[in-house]
Amino acid sequence: MASHGISRGSGPLVRSEEARQKELQQIDEYKNLADLVNTKIAEKHYTIEVLGLVTKLLNENPEYYTIWNHRRRVLASLVSAETLEQTPDELLQGDLQLTFALLRKFPKCYWIWNHRNWLLREGEALMGAEAAHKLWSGELQLINKMLHADSRNFHAWGYRRFVVSQLERFTPTVAESAAHGTSKGLAESEFEYTTRMIKTNLSNFSAWHNRSQLIPQILRERNADPKERRSFLDSELSLICEAINTDPFDQSIWFYHQYLLSILSASCPTHQLIVQDLTNGERQKYYEHEMEYIREILEDEADCKWIYEALLGLAEASLEVDAGTGSFTTKDMRAWLNELKRLDPLRRGRWDDLERRLSL
Amino acid sequence: MPKVPDEMQLLVDKHVRYIQSLDTRKDELEYWLTEHLRLNGLYWGLTALHLLRHADALPRKELLDFVFSCLHESGGFGAAPGHDAHMLYTVSGVQLLATLDAFDDLEARVQGGRQKIGKFIAGLQDPQTGTFAGDEWGEQDTRFLYGALNALSLMGLLHLVDVDKAVQHVHACANFDGGYGTSPGAESHSGQVFTCLGALTIAGRLDLVDQEKLGAWLSERQLKNGGLNGRPEKKEDVCYSWWVMSSMAMLDRLHWIDGDKLTSFILQCQDPELGGLADRPGDMVDVFHTVFGIAGLSLLKYPGLDEVDPVYCMPRSVTRRCLGK
Repeated sequence: MASHGISRGSGPLVRSEEARQKELQQIDEYKNLADLVNTKIAEKHYTIEVLGLVTKLLNENPEYYTIWNHRRRVLASLVSAETLEQTPDELLQGDLQLTFALLRKFPKCYWIWNHRNWLLREGEALMGAEAAHKLWSGELQLINKMLHADSRNFHAWGYRRFVVSQLERFTPTVAESAAHGTSKGLAESEFEYTTRMIKTNLSNFSAWHNRSQLIPQILRERNADPKERRSFLDSELSLICEAINTDPFDQSIWFYHQYLLSILSASCPTHQLIVQDLTNGERQKYYEHEMEYIREILEDEADCKWIYEALLGLAEASLEVDAGTGSFTTKDMRAWLNELKRLDPLRRGRWDDLERRLSL
Repeated sequence: MPKVPDEMQLLVDKHVRYIQSLDTRKDELEYWLTEHLRLNGLYWGLTALHLLRHADALPRKELLDFVFSCLHESGGFGAAPGHDAHMLYTVSGVQLLATLDAFDDLEARVQGGRQKIGKFIAGLQDPQTGTFAGDEWGEQDTRFLYGALNALSLMGLLHLVDVDKAVQHVHACANFDGGYGTSPGAESHSGQVFTCLGALTIAGRLDLVDQEKLGAWLSERQLKNGGLNGRPEKKEDVCYSWWVMSSMAMLDRLHWIDGDKLTSFILQCQDPELGGLADRPGDMVDVFHTVFGIAGLSLLKYPGLDEVDPVYCMPRSVTRRCLGK
């Protein structure tokens, strides 16, 4: 009922009688199976055999959410039964395999992700801490595979953040790790993961986004002092500037650049700051440096609207810090705005509003 | 009024017939495989018909019979008879009742029906975080939070939940780009931006939104061909004509994209033979893209369409009646 990307011309308009009969038979078989499952569940036949029927039906239609609920009803009953045909661990492994196979085929189906999430939480309650830790760690492998297939799948990214938050409950504190000389915390490895994803594909905004989420945490866990925080900021800025130079037409990159500028601002909430004791003088230096760099790129890419937008953003931020700067003039700002209007007529109304807001 | 070439017109009659035909496709396997969307599908179809000014194209009594057949004792709606109750269908159920002006019919059939539905929804709020689950199994998402405020406000029952807590949760989902995700920390996504702005509008708390930033992010969803995408560097799709534009309408920034180009993109997604709209030109149509394309055209003030409410995706005349404003 919500089809995506299926061409209208791909199927015959009129089915042959043979095809019609075949489809009617498929409908019959599907409805019989659905009726059988619903009847068995209504009669509370929570058995391994019914679980098998449920599996068959979900393989045919993983969007049938009620059947996932039925599956959980059966599983909960089987696990608490006194005579076990299958151990809870076997049942769990079976469902992990089922959901993995289905996710490969239907990576955007909410109900499958939801069932997987339920399985893990139930599994943890049944198995105790050590086994649960192993279970949650295994999820990162699954997510890596899913993101390898589609690096923007927001279900997979969301589940990744959830799994990491679950794993962090088991991880020794940073201080404990340091005392035992063990490896770095999870946030660090997640941060490295975003670096790898970005290096594979600069336009992966999901990875840039997650990076922005991890930064405050890793700086906190590192107990980073003001100097380390400044050098961290510098390395992020040089990473994004290199990306801009590589593809100035990619909006993912510019949104991350905007993020870095926003955390330079005095109005940024404290818990999001990279450098907590930035002075206005330093702010001004950062703005000037960025502006100089971006103006250099402009020489080769005069038709890239993102450059003009960034320059105006920097000018506005600069004016908040120091009205008397000499690195640009109102005339420059007016010229940048005119370029935006020329290059980006789709958003003409926005540039008109900006012109008024900046009194240009 | 948008400038449209003569050959690019909205095929109103064809879309009406397409929507009327949806329940006659029982000899297609797809009809049975999509039963879990039936009540949503009715809401999408009926809303499209109202916007097309063919409100009576589906029989009211049969519609109501079906809607009530999906209502559980708990006060929640399932997708179809025999399907479990869930927020997603409960919202569609309430929206259908509102559009059909049938809250009295509800009370006549189920005593205290509105209260029952309201209690089902209120029972899904997480008292700690203020967000909402979809059902007893616990999945949480800003889609469900929005759905709760949508349905409760239509029934005049917002007081059954902690609106301030819900608002705090939405605010915690805000990202540096001004957008919102499914939960705190999740990437901004146009569909989720719609749900979060809708919830904040219902709660009267748009003051919490970074409107300049979010407006800019939303305006960048428009691509060269006029269509809108849902996130940076993704493909265009007609359904974002709704999620993105309704959000821009709530922020009073619809003029930040090119309406003529978008109108033309949406019209190209029509099936000129059998009616209905698809995600992209030349693709298979479905009722989901049909309503969100038409609702998008309504926001663009396409001639001959009824006004749509950007917060509810329902006819403005209906929400005015329910909300008294």
